[in-house]
Amino acid sequence: MLSRRKECVAMLLAGGQGTRLGALTEETAKPAVPFGAKYRIIDFPISNTVNSGIDTIGVLTQYKPFELNQYIGNGQPWDLDRINGGAFILPPYQRGKTGEWYKGTANAIYQNISFIDSYDPDYVLILSGDHIYKMDYSKMLDKHKENKADCTIAVRNVPIEEASRFGIMNTRGNNEIFEFEEKPEKPKSTKASMGIYIFSWGKLRQYLIQDEENKNSSNDFGKNIIPMMLKDKQKLYAYEFDSYWKDVGTISSLWEANMDILNADSGINLNDKKWKIYSRNMAEPPQFVGDDAEVVHAMISEGCYVNGKVTNSIIYHGSTIEKGAEIKDSIIMSNTMIGANARISHAIIGWDCEVGENSVIGAPQKAPINGEWQIAVVGPKIKLERNSVLKEGEMLGGKINE
Amino acid sequence: MNNMMSVLFAAGQESKLNELTLHRTTASLPFGGRYRLIDFTLSNIVNSGITQVGIIARSNYQSLMDHIRQGRDWDLNRKNSGIYVFPPFVYNSSKEVYKGKIEAIYSILSFILWSKEEYVLISNCNVAANIDIEKYYDLHIKNGAVITMLCYKGMTTSSSRIVIEKDADDKIVDIYETEYAGTEEKSVSLNMYIIKKDILINLVQKAYARGLVDLEKDILFKLVNEGKVCAYDVPEYAAIVDDVKTYYQESMNLLKYDVRKSLFGKEDRKIYTKVKDSVPTVYGEHAKVSNSLIADGCLIDGVVENSILFRSVHIAKGAVVKNSIVMEKGIVGENSSLQYAITDKDVEISADRNISGFITYPIVIVKGKKV
Repeated sequence: MLSRRKECVAMLLAGGQGTRLGALTEETAKPAVPFGAKYRIIDFPISNTVNSGIDTIGVLTQYKPFELNQYIGNGQPWDLDRINGGAFILPPYQRGKTGEWYKGTANAIYQNISFIDSYDPDYVLILSGDHIYKMDYSKMLDKHKENKADCTIAVRNVPIEEASRFGIMNTRGNNEIFEFEEKPEKPKSTKASMGIYIFSWGKLRQYLIQDEENKNSSNDFGKNIIPMMLKDKQKLYAYEFDSYWKDVGTISSLWEANMDILNADSGINLNDKKWKIYSRNMAEPPQFVGDDAEVVHAMISEGCYVNGKVTNSIIYHGSTIEKGAEIKDSIIMSNTMIGANARISHAIIGWDCEVGENSVIGAPQKAPINGEWQIAVVGPKIKLERNSVLKEGEMLGGKINE
Repeated sequence: MNNMMSVLFAAGQESKLNELTLHRTTASLPFGGRYRLIDFTLSNIVNSGITQVGIIARSNYQSLMDHIRQGRDWDLNRKNSGIYVFPPFVYNSSKEVYKGKIEAIYSILSFILWSKEEYVLISNCNVAANIDIEKYYDLHIKNGAVITMLCYKGMTTSSSRIVIEKDADDKIVDIYETEYAGTEEKSVSLNMYIIKKDILINLVQKAYARGLVDLEKDILFKLVNEGKVCAYDVPEYAAIVDDVKTYYQESMNLLKYDVRKSLFGKEDRKIYTKVKDSVPTVYGEHAKVSNSLIADGCLIDGVVENSILFRSVHIAKGAVVKNSIVMEKGIVGENSSLQYAITDKDVEISADRNISGFITYPIVIVKGKKV
């Protein structure tokens, strides 16, 4: 045995394409999409894992992995450069005569059975790289042990009218799951799966092999593994989580989640000394706020030069806001230049962009339409000439495939 | 550049930095919002491809050790070469810590000897600048001098600085130390020297054997008299910090665009520092900030003008901070005002306080105090 054994190994499914983020995921895997002025989405599950005392994490990549690989590196920013354990990038690979892409979430884990086996763990924690939340997985693991469960699924209560958009767990009083319904028309419960699973490894291993033998399976946790285990009367429990959690799968929800960090009442506090979110740092100088700047209710990262008016907005590291520019209710990603007198409202401007003088991007909005904010999006690395106009809800540099 | 190592002196200016170095050595003096003074020298070294770094500490070096750790933040946690911090070496025969740079270098001769590089960069840690040291190594090889010195065109101040005059071939013809604040620009020493290792060892051994202590006066000045020292003025901005006044002035100079550009504007020559994973800075509903340099992790809900805020500073609603430097984790309470002040780390100004120094005499509030 190469490695010292671990009680729990985390596997982070980071292969998601994130097609609903359009231009932002054109060249970048969704977990690597920037969030919250200096972070990336994946910083949240990785920091949670490390803060929960789990020091071995496999990051399963598939779609546009280069940036993600570079970002994770040896895992040092998350304290995961370990002699025993640490962070591992696990792309699909050739095994003997066969070799194939990860066909589904379960297949991704199946293809890495030998990686997990090398740590001989009792439990495996399955995570996805799509959500913003702070969670102590060790508490969930304690519950899993207490229940002597085969699988524990984190759930959160959603409003009943929204429940038909989620995978819903129907449970008994003690939170034991007796039924799982994917996007039910008539939901019987409000407990929505958060895509966070703890499995007893022996059990999961057995079901992964069994599932792989079924050629018609989509090799998916939600569609195949969980229903199979329920059918076999295995012990599955729901673990209720009621703190802040947000799926940032769409432009509107990504924008909302960014705005949530400006709002003290939203429940996501990044400035938590006991639960820090770690990220790869960029060695930028402090931000400079100029004579003509007006910055109110905003979050601004290192290396920025701000000399315009910024209200209710998030500015990522290394960006410049020229004099007279007005940024309102918007997200400006890293190393982007907003020219003088540009007006930006309800917009996301990608990284390495230039927005020319007097441009008008997006439009003010009071409320979302059918739950969706009409956010104007300028994709990464786009240079807009002066006087450019981008209307509300429009996107430059990619399109959304539903 | 694999043929030059470096030896840095962490201490030096403590006597004139007063309260600011009460708990720390000059090298670990916080500067520029998120840095310690040594970050500039270390980054210059690393950016010039030097990988063997010895730092000689003298006293109060705990904060320095905590800052440097294994040197990872400067990419100096190497298997071959890397960073070595030398606490003062006390010989059996004497209970005294070394008196001057000659004794200090003598105490680490074995480190210098077994380093594989042929040349040595010797430097203090009290200069904030972004200098391409490799360029001066090349010039040193060409000019044939025993020592090549780095200087910059600037003013002398009331703290002692070394001034040189040189001829058309960059050879130093006069060198002297002055505490006179001049009115015209001179070539002022940055206390950075390039010298061949063998020669340094020889000079230091001889000087040590004769009881000499002062690297500058006992070795450098003599070599100048023999016509063996060349000097170059670096074109970059250089901030020498050697007393409270220069600390304040040079900090305020960072509010100038050209100064920031010279220090931080080079994509391939970044200034590195210890990573702290602070959150980005948050501006509240009542924030009013202008002409200020602000590090990460701050929470600002008051007025900040012409000031420098270090990491995780909290400026409460109604507070007014002008022409001041607030170091890490400083708190300025509601409706308090701070003018021409330097508050050290972990200083708390309670609500409704009124603190003011003067532009030529900024008031310093000692680390950890509550006002």
